[in-house]
Formats: sequence, C-alpha cells, structure tokens
Amino acid sequence: MGFFSGLDTEEYDREYGDRELISRIFTYLQPHGKRIFWISFFLILVAGAGAALPLLVSNGVDRFSQGPADNAVYLLVGLVLLSTVINWGGNWVRRRLTVRTVSDMTMTLRIDAFESAANHDLSFYDQFSSGRVVSRITSDTREFGKLVVLVTDLIAQLAQALILGIILSQIEIRLFLYVLGFLPLLFVISLAFRKLARKVTREGMRAMAKVNATIKETVSGIAVAKNFRQEQAIFDDFHQANQESYQMNVQRGLVLSMVFPLLNALGGIGTAFLVYVGGINVTQGLVTVGSWYLFLLSLDRFFFPVLNLSAFWAQVQAGLSASERVFALIDAQPAVVQHQQIVPERLSGKVVIENLDFRYEEDEWVFRDFNLTIQPGESVALVGHTGAGKSSIAKLLARFYEFQAGRIVVDDYNIRDLDLIAYRKHLGMIAQVPFLFSGTIADNISYACGECGEEEMLAMAKKIGQGEWLDTLPEGLQTQVGERGGQLSMGQRQLVALLRVLVQHPSIFILDEATASIDPFTEWQIQQALDLVLEHSTSILIAHRLSTVKSADRIVVLQDGRIIEEGTHRTLLADDGHYANLYNTYFRHQSLEYIEESRDLV
Amino acid sequence: MSDGLDYSTEFKLTEKYQTSPWIRSHRDNAVSWIAAHAARYWYLGLIMLAGAIGNAGLAAAVPIYIGQAMDALLGAEDPLTVLQKIAWWIVGTQVVRGVLQFGRNFSAELIGQRMERDIRHEFYTSLLGKSMTYHNLQPVGDVMARATNDVREINFMFSPGINLVVGSANFIVMPILFSFRYHPALAAAPVIFLVLYILALWQYLYELRPITDAVRKAFGRLNTRLAEAVDGIETVKGAAAEKKEVRLFEKNAENFRDQEVRQGDVEARFLPLLLMGLVQSGGLLHAIILFQRGLVNVGDIVAYFGLLLLLGFPTFVSLFAYSQVSLGVAGARRILELINKETELDQNEAGYEQPMQGELAFQGVYFAYPDGEVTVKDINFEVKPGQTVAIVGQTGSGKTTLAKLVNRTYDVNQGKIIIDGVDLRDWNLAELRKQISIIEQDIFLFSDSIADNIAFGRPEANREEIKQAAKSAQADKFIQSFRNGYDTVLGERGVTLSGGQRQRLALARAFLTDPRILILDDSTSSIDSATEDEIQRAIFAAAEGRTTLIITHRLSQIRWADHILVLRGGEIVASGTHEEMMETSPAYRRIFSE
Repeated sequence: MGFFSGLDTEEYDREYGDRELISRIFTYLQPHGKRIFWISFFLILVAGAGAALPLLVSNGVDRFSQGPADNAVYLLVGLVLLSTVINWGGNWVRRRLTVRTVSDMTMTLRIDAFESAANHDLSFYDQFSSGRVVSRITSDTREFGKLVVLVTDLIAQLAQALILGIILSQIEIRLFLYVLGFLPLLFVISLAFRKLARKVTREGMRAMAKVNATIKETVSGIAVAKNFRQEQAIFDDFHQANQESYQMNVQRGLVLSMVFPLLNALGGIGTAFLVYVGGINVTQGLVTVGSWYLFLLSLDRFFFPVLNLSAFWAQVQAGLSASERVFALIDAQPAVVQHQQIVPERLSGKVVIENLDFRYEEDEWVFRDFNLTIQPGESVALVGHTGAGKSSIAKLLARFYEFQAGRIVVDDYNIRDLDLIAYRKHLGMIAQVPFLFSGTIADNISYACGECGEEEMLAMAKKIGQGEWLDTLPEGLQTQVGERGGQLSMGQRQLVALLRVLVQHPSIFILDEATASIDPFTEWQIQQALDLVLEHSTSILIAHRLSTVKSADRIVVLQDGRIIEEGTHRTLLADDGHYANLYNTYFRHQSLEYIEESRDLV
Repeated sequence: MSDGLDYSTEFKLTEKYQTSPWIRSHRDNAVSWIAAHAARYWYLGLIMLAGAIGNAGLAAAVPIYIGQAMDALLGAEDPLTVLQKIAWWIVGTQVVRGVLQFGRNFSAELIGQRMERDIRHEFYTSLLGKSMTYHNLQPVGDVMARATNDVREINFMFSPGINLVVGSANFIVMPILFSFRYHPALAAAPVIFLVLYILALWQYLYELRPITDAVRKAFGRLNTRLAEAVDGIETVKGAAAEKKEVRLFEKNAENFRDQEVRQGDVEARFLPLLLMGLVQSGGLLHAIILFQRGLVNVGDIVAYFGLLLLLGFPTFVSLFAYSQVSLGVAGARRILELINKETELDQNEAGYEQPMQGELAFQGVYFAYPDGEVTVKDINFEVKPGQTVAIVGQTGSGKTTLAKLVNRTYDVNQGKIIIDGVDLRDWNLAELRKQISIIEQDIFLFSDSIADNIAFGRPEANREEIKQAAKSAQADKFIQSFRNGYDTVLGERGVTLSGGQRQRLALARAFLTDPRILILDDSTSSIDSATEDEIQRAIFAAAEGRTTLIITHRLSQIRWADHILVLRGGEIVASGTHEEMMETSPAYRRIFSE
C-alpha cells in the first residue's frame, strides 16, 4: 500500500543538505556492511528470479506453439518452480537481514540521541519542549528505519523492472518503447492523484482534529452536565460534531476509493493496446507469440514500481526530514563546558558568587556584577517577585546553565573545574514540582544515592511524623508511585523528594519550594523533613511558605538581579522596607493573624 | 430494568435519537452487535458484494481474453480482426471493472463511516444514560479512547478490512470457477491453494499475535520511561543520574529491538507467498500435462496461468486485512463492555420532593467501592441548615468519597444519610440533585464563553444575573480584565484560567443555581495574599445561607467552620468546633501553631 503511506506528513524546513544527511546515514550503515552486502545479493537474486518467471513461461509458450513439445518443457516447469522458491526463500533471508540491520541501526541511533539529550544542559530544554525531544528519539528514529526499508523495497522492484526492461528491449525495441511511453502517463496520473489524496487527507485531518476536540469535551463534560441536568444540551453538541466528522470522512473516502479502480482501468487499456499492437508485430513476424505474451506478463511488473515511485519522493523527503531532526538533536552543542574534571572528596558547602553576569537570552541580563557569599551550613532564603533571579541562582549553582562573566566558587573549587557528575552528587535538589519516576517509593528515595539500604530509608521515613505517612500507603516503601508519581498526592510527592535528599546527605541543598495546596497535616510533616535537611546542609531556599522564610538563617531580598536587603524575618519586617512589602504580597495570608481575621473579609 | 429501556435510567432522549430495541437486544456479543448495526445498510453490503464479484470476474476476463488472442494468433485466418475485437472487449470490461471496483470500495467506505458514526452515537447516548456513580468510577481518558480509537477500529474493520477480505476471496473463487472452462481437473490447483491458504494464514496470524503484543509492550516501556526521564531531566541531572538513565534506556531499547526482530522474522517467513508460488508452478505443470495429451490448447494454458496469477492479490492482502477485522471486533468488545456495565441506583421518581431546608445527618455510614476497598467507616455527624462543615484530612482519608455520598453519586452500604429528616433513598433523585451542588477538585469548563460556562446550570439566565453571580464569586474583576469580558472563549483555542479562577467560575455557577446544599472540594492555592483575599471572600459568601460541606486545606476556612471533621483512614478521628478541637486534639493544635 505504498501509494497511501505518508499522506498525513507535515512539511518541514530542512537545514542539512541532502549530501550531508546521506553521508551521516552512511556512518550508521557502515557497521552493517556485511549484512548490506548479503541484502543486496539476495535482492538481486530475488529480482532475477522474479524476472525469470515471465521469461520461462513465455519461452514455454514458444515451444508449444507448434503442438506437443518434448520433455524439455518439464525442465522448464522445474525452473519455474525453482524461481518461485528462490523468490520466497530469497525474500525470507533478505527480510530477516533487513529487519536486523534496521532494528540495530535505529537502536544505535536512539541510544545516541538519548545519550546526547541526557547530556544537554537545560538551555537546550528551554528551546525544545520535552514532547519534541521524545518524539525525535522514538518516532523520528522509526521514520529513519522506515526510510531504509522503503529504499531497499523500491530498489528490489526497480531491479526486477530493469532486468525485464533490458530483455524486452532486446526482443523488440519498438514494442518496448510503447510500454515505456505508457509509464510516464501512469506516473503523472498517480502523482496527481496523490496530490489530491494528500489535500483531502489534510483537510480531513484538520476537520477531524476539531471534531475530536468536541467529542473529547462532550465526553469529559458528561459528569458536569449530569450534575446540572443539562444532558440534552451536551448531546446536541455531540450529535453535531459526530455528523460533521462523518461528512468529512466520507469525502475523503470518496477520493481514496477511486484510486485503484482508475489505475486498474488504465492498466486494462494498456493491456488492450499491447494485445493489438503486439499482435500486429507477431503477424509481421517481428516477434514470436511467446515474446508477445512476455510483454503482456511484464506489464504488471512495470506498473507497481511506477505506482510506488509516485509516492516515493514524498516518503523519502519525510524520512530525510526525520533523520535530520534526530541528527540535529545529536549534534547540538552543549553550552556548559567544563575546563577540568576535578572530583571533590568532600564539600563543606561554602559558596562564593563573584561579579557574576548572566542572561538566558541576548540583551536580557538577569545578573550584572552580582555578588553573594554563603557560609558552610548556613541556610539562605531567597525572596522577591517573579523574575528577580531567585531560580537563576539555584540553576547556576547546579551548573544547569553557563554564565557569561564572573565566577562561582564552591569551597575552593572554581565551578567550571569540577567533574559535574561528581559535583552534583554533593548537591541535593528539589524542583518546584517534585518529580518522581514510576517504580516504588523506595526506588525514588534511593534514586540519587544508588546503594541506600532499606533500613536507612525506613529509619529516615520514621523520623517524619513517626512514619505515619508510610502507614497510609498500601505497601509502605514498596508502594508503586505510578507514572510521574501520579498515584501519590502532591504532599506525598514532596515528602518522597525530601527523603531522596535526606538519604543523599548532600553538602548543599537547593529547594525550589512548591506552591501547590497541601493538607495541613502533611504540610506539618513536610516542615519536619525540611528541618532535618536544613540541620546538615548549606541551604539555598527559594521560599514560598512563611514557615520556610522564618526558619532561614538569612533572608536575601532580590529585585531585578540585585540584592536590595538582607537580614532575618524579624529585623527585615521591623525595617519596613522592601521585604515588608513582599511579606504583605506573598506571605501575609499564611500567618495566624490572617486566619483569625479572615472572617472579617466579607 | 427489564423493559428494554434499561440504558436511559437517568436521562431520556427523544425517540428519534434512541438506539433501536433490536440493536440493543444484540449487545451481548460483539460480532452479532456489529452485524446488527451493519444490517441497517444491507443494500450497501449488496453493492459491495456485487462490486467485489464483478471486479474479480472482470479481472479474470483479462487472462481469458489473452488466451483467446493467443489462439487467434496461432490459428485464425485473420488474427488482427479478432485481436481488434478482443482489445475492445478488454477496454470495455476493464472500464466496467473500474466502476464496479469503485462501487465496492465506496460502499465499504460508506458502511465503515456510518458504523463509526452510529456506534459512537449509541455509545454516547448510552453514556448519557448512565448514573453519576458510573461516571465517577470510569476514568475519562479510558472512555475517550473508546469513543475515538475503538470506534475508528470498527470503521477500519469494514474499510479496508472486510472490503479487502471479500474482494480478495473472490480472487480465489474466480480461478476455481473459470478453470472449468478449460478442464474440470484444472480446478485442483486453486482448490488446493484455498485449503492450504486458510491453514497457513491461520497459523501465521496465530503465531504473530503474541509477538505484536510483546512489541507493543516493549515500546510502551521504552517510551514511558523516556518521556519520564526527559520531563524530569532537572531531577535526573540534579541526582547525577544521567548514566543510570542511559543504561536503563539502552536496556529498554535493546529489548524493543529484540521484539521487533522476532516480529520481523515471523513476517519474513510468510508462508502463503511460498504456497502461491508452488500452486502456480504446479498448476502450470498440470496444464502442460493436459496439453501434451491434447486435452487443452496453448491459449488455454496461457489463460489458466493468468488466472493463477490472480492469487497474488489475496496473498498480499492477507498480510493485514485479517488483523484489521480482528482489531475491529476487539474494539467493539471494549465499547460493549462499557455500554453493558449497569449501575443500580434507582431514580425513585415517586419519592419525596419538597423544597430543601438543608438539615443533614450521617448515621453510622459505611461505604466501600465495588472493588472492595473500604473508604469510609462509621461516620456520624449532624449539620443544621445553613451551617458550614469543614472536612480535613490527608489524601486518601475518604474526604471526597464522604462528600459524594450526599448527592447519591454513591449509595451507602450501611447506615443512612438524612436530609430534612428524610432518608436520601426516599428522596426523588432528580429533586435531590437539583438542590445540591458539587464543586469538584478538577473543575471542568467547556470551550464556550465565560458567560455560557457560568450559566451552564441555568441556560435561561440573563447577562445581569450572570454578572451578579460572578460578582458574588469575586470573579467579575478578572473576567472584566479580558478583552472580550464575559464573551471570552475558554479552552484550547481560548483563554486558559488558573485553578483559583476556575474555582471562582464554578462558585459563580453555584450562585446562579442557588442550591440548598453546597459541597466544595477546594484544593487551590494562592501565590499572593490579594488573590487569597478574593477566594476567601467568595467561599464565605457562597457558604452564607446554605448548608455547606467544604473539603479544604485552608486554615481560615477550617478555623471559621461551624463544625470540623478530621478524617484518617476513612474514620472520624476528631470533630467539634475550632475551640473544642484546640482543647482535645494535639494534631489539630499542631497545625495551628507556627
């Protein structure tokens, strides 16, 4: 069904040249040279066997044309049998080799792509959404594999047509030219049809996307509709969308239903033409009856390659675009570059940021000449409006981004001289939305430390609210958390993330505090866990909760990438400066006074 | 439920849109259900069949004509006149064949599309008729998948599935029928093919199925972990776990490769192809033997061999047509599974229907989900009309379930719930629900205008009333901030609202319908104090003058509730007013300390 494939691919602007891409593809083919040799061998063998069949049969016809023949015809039948067996057997071997080559190649490409994705710094992920990265690693590599299969299949068909073509041209060149003249017509018609099919498919897809959205909404909305007894209204919406979807699809079906009937009729006309014109040649003695029959038998074998060829170019383009997307992922240059690979044994957690300049985008400086020193064991809360640079400090310290000037010194090491993997083992980080991987709670707690024992984890877990939170889970530490931790509540996810850091014993702890709403009991447990971490590590807290701000040794107030105030909660509030303002904007409603007075709001 | 009108217990459509009783009586078996649907389009089925027979018959005409042409060339006095006539016949038959094939294709397409439409319609109306209990238990994503993908599979089952099965079957039948033209014994080869083809195909599909499942699973594993690792890249890097993830990915990728190769091996061996070759050469041999004995002539051999070449179509098509059909049946089975799932809540149309005062009491209430998981145990409490009850507890403590018992989304297993002195089960269900509003945690808004969303429960409300409701819910200000105000369209192609804004729209809905009992599952959080002020105001105002159950994390709401219930593991572990709780519960005291 080559003709119908790839109708729904989107166009894509390429940046790599064809030649460059193809040479890249060859580097992936190279390790499979031996297999490719055998694939080509069997490919030609099969093509030869395929071409032999009509030759043998037509040869037989010539022998019979004068009545019963000698027993040599049985040899001929034997050869026919042989050709079909070779055809099947050769294909069998070729396909086995092809699937191995293609699967190995896509696997290698996938692993390369993922490895490179895993090593990119976060500036890369700011440019490419995670969905796009994933689809490059899975679907685009698959398209790349399909491209290889497509090319070999088409070569097989063309090789057969070529062999036949050479033989036919030897027999009677004029008749062959008739056949050849017929093919461009076929090609143009199929090309035009494909264009039409592509158009209705695209239109259909666009309409279907709309209809699907309505169907999605009317299905999701049933519960609400029932709540308000509005079933009739929602049914009307559904009904209309369902009808529209039907009409769009019928239109598309109409076009696609016509393709093969039309091409078959065309093929019939070609056959009729050959029957007559070839017949004239026979009567003139230019060709034998057998050759006349050979031309008729061969017509089909030109027909399909041409049909597939009409879809070929679009498919090759789609395949090349897909491989380009994968190579672009592999080739992207990391912005973060380390100068040395020092492996620090222990870190006390002293952090010095000196004369730092940093920006994510051209001309939008986040920091200019920024300075901050954090003492070992100190906990620092960063507060300020969105965009003040709180998270940027955390991300630079984790070496997720490259900065433009100044330096960051951790203990006595320049951050650019450290082995990143070794350095980050001393860092405990919690993202604003704590991320868990599918697996058990134990898997997630031990994620950063590798060889933490169950006992250590349990001991830690019990330190928090007497371990009550574990009792509420069906299988304690062995409870499955589900995809992205979806089986757990937000509060539970935060607890697990904190435990992950606790068992890691990091020198430096970086917390981007969650803003999600959590029940007060779990909140209290989270506070306990947080206190445990703060005791032992240098901490940088991007605080959203009043209690966290209060528990910090020092509050650093940021505005537009500058430190404008420093002190403790009490002193800063007494100063009635910028912090007092921030407090009124972000923290006031978390205080006990607010709770007492909230009744008066109405 | 035995009168055949089982499906619309909660909601009845007008006659015209209902599924016919005849189709409903076929719902116990997927194949007969599909057949019952398809039977409505029997005339299209006939066109398809006629088209398929005509198409194959006229395709068979080509080798027959070629055979005749061959004989003419070898023996006729004026072969060119004969040839000319034959050529015209070929043109004529092949053009007619094209028309017939189009008839076959397009009628199959029409059946498929209509099946998709009709079955989705039946599925949807059946969903509308299901109880709220049903919809609460059924994950939306799962229902969605069945309403789109599975329904589409049934479409594909007809076109190209059955279309090609019927079409290609005729390409086996024609060689058998037409071989009699030349010699009855020649039917042997195609008949043998038919028998062996069925066996080989059955074996092939049987062998392939578990492998394609394994491939799908392996891909699922690869893809899920990959998506997680990429989404959580910050966590991966923060934990210095890149190498670990790459190793895991390698393992998954290798496993997927192995499964793909297994599938490729089975597909490569595809026996029907060998069978076709054997039958074609065997048939040729047979024809030659008959020719040597003078029983057939050269043209006959050629025609017969041409007929055997027709077997290529069914051989090629069987690579996918049959699995398409079985996918369709599987899809139908999944849809029926949901259609046939019954919920036993009864409407009690003759029940109590009076304006509600809002006095509510739980007496020894137990409830467990159908899967046996007990979620609430021995719940006892009373609420006077207009009072506010705050329900507090950790995730999974049974808060939401408890709230959903009040409007009979679920029925209690033991004990009873009383409103205005009447057991819930003695209320007329529609009347009961009309006077109770639930605002769930995930607030669903339609891709309509804000005004339409607010007025969803009372479509006849005018703009003034809608505005008033929005004002009471503290939503007016942010709505006015949009360029199109109340006509702003929400959803994928419109404006996206924050959790707090969605909640206030839901509250506005409630202001408009003015229920006597309001159940609010509140899980939003505010980043800034000004927004928090507004949400607090909206909730306090909504609770004013009606009985309110609020599931909340907000200490202010808990602090000022008339009655507080603390749940743990489905049981009430503490209850009372704020002052009482501060005295009696250390855990409660703890959350109110700094």
